[in-house]
Amino acid sequence: MSDYVCHDFKTPRTDTSKRLPNSFKLVPVAFYVALIGGTYFMTNDWLAYKRAQDEKVAAENVKKDHETAIQKLTEEKTALDAETGKAQEVARWMEGARNVQPLSVAIARSMPPEVRMSDLTIERSDQVPSNLSLSLRINGGTANDVALIESSITRLNYRSYSPQQSKTGDVVEYRSTLVRQEQ
Amino acid sequence: MNPKQLACVVLMMFIGAMTYFAQIVHKKVGTMKKSATMAKQDATTAEGSRQAAEILTTRTKVETEELRRFLQAWVPYVDKAQTEQEVESTIEFSLRDRGITLVRSRKTEVKASRENKFIPKSVLTTVVIEDEYAKVLNWLGDLEKRLPMARVKACRFTGGSSARQLRLDISLETPLINLAGESAAKTKKKA
Repeated sequence: MSDYVCHDFKTPRTDTSKRLPNSFKLVPVAFYVALIGGTYFMTNDWLAYKRAQDEKVAAENVKKDHETAIQKLTEEKTALDAETGKAQEVARWMEGARNVQPLSVAIARSMPPEVRMSDLTIERSDQVPSNLSLSLRINGGTANDVALIESSITRLNYRSYSPQQSKTGDVVEYRSTLVRQEQ
Repeated sequence: MNPKQLACVVLMMFIGAMTYFAQIVHKKVGTMKKSATMAKQDATTAEGSRQAAEILTTRTKVETEELRRFLQAWVPYVDKAQTEQEVESTIEFSLRDRGITLVRSRKTEVKASRENKFIPKSVLTTVVIEDEYAKVLNWLGDLEKRLPMARVKACRFTGGSSARQLRLDISLETPLINLAGESAAKTKKKA
């Protein structure tokens, strides 16, 4: 064995690569900070995202419920309006369909026994169906009898509008438009 | 570039990527928060609209209650007179029931109205009868009771063939109401 001791490992060696500048030593620190910070912020953001998403879905559901309710209410109102329209139509028709029989009976009853009514005509106006055109002819009557007729008509809530009467011999002719009076 | 520099570059790229990714996520969260706020606002607006609709419907219901009750009261009479035959048979039955034997003439025709979908048809009836005074007037009352929706267009009382007899010429219009149809007011609105 040779006496020469080889201290090969102890010999100073030059660096294989150049040292980094001092400022670059902050890069790993920044990496860790970015890693921790990124995790923290992204976790927070993720939670906030989920929360916002839930809130959005809940709000949309609430909105949908309200819209369904609005649609139902609108349909209900439309049905009510339609029914009201029909009711108004019926009411309008009925306004012009009041019974004529009580009127003719009242006129006949208002006549004294000695007076004879030879003709009684009641016609309904086409333009205003609630108005009636009355014309009658009485034999042996006087103006007093006409007054009696008018008062009997008034009792049935009809007003005599532009009445005309004429007398030819024994025959009294009376014409009038009967307008319904609302109480 | 030595390995240390390369490692630094890789780390810096990682930092950059992470920051970029975090920014994108943050932006997305912001957008989602905005959407949630908008959705909440929409829900609040919808709630307001619902309340308004509720008030309007309730008010309409209350205001029109009387009219609708009026219609409901007349529905049975409307249902009774839906065809020309029903109207004719009612008149026929009334004449028989009241013992009116002398019917001088009787004519029925149907009048159609295209504009009015609520009353698309009506039956025009003309009857001439002759009988005792009381019977004739009672028959008229009975007819108006049986057909309360019928509109007496004209009636004429004159003396009959004898002193005890009374002649009545009457023409009446009975509407054949279609409750499923639209009212005239609605039809006018549409036009």
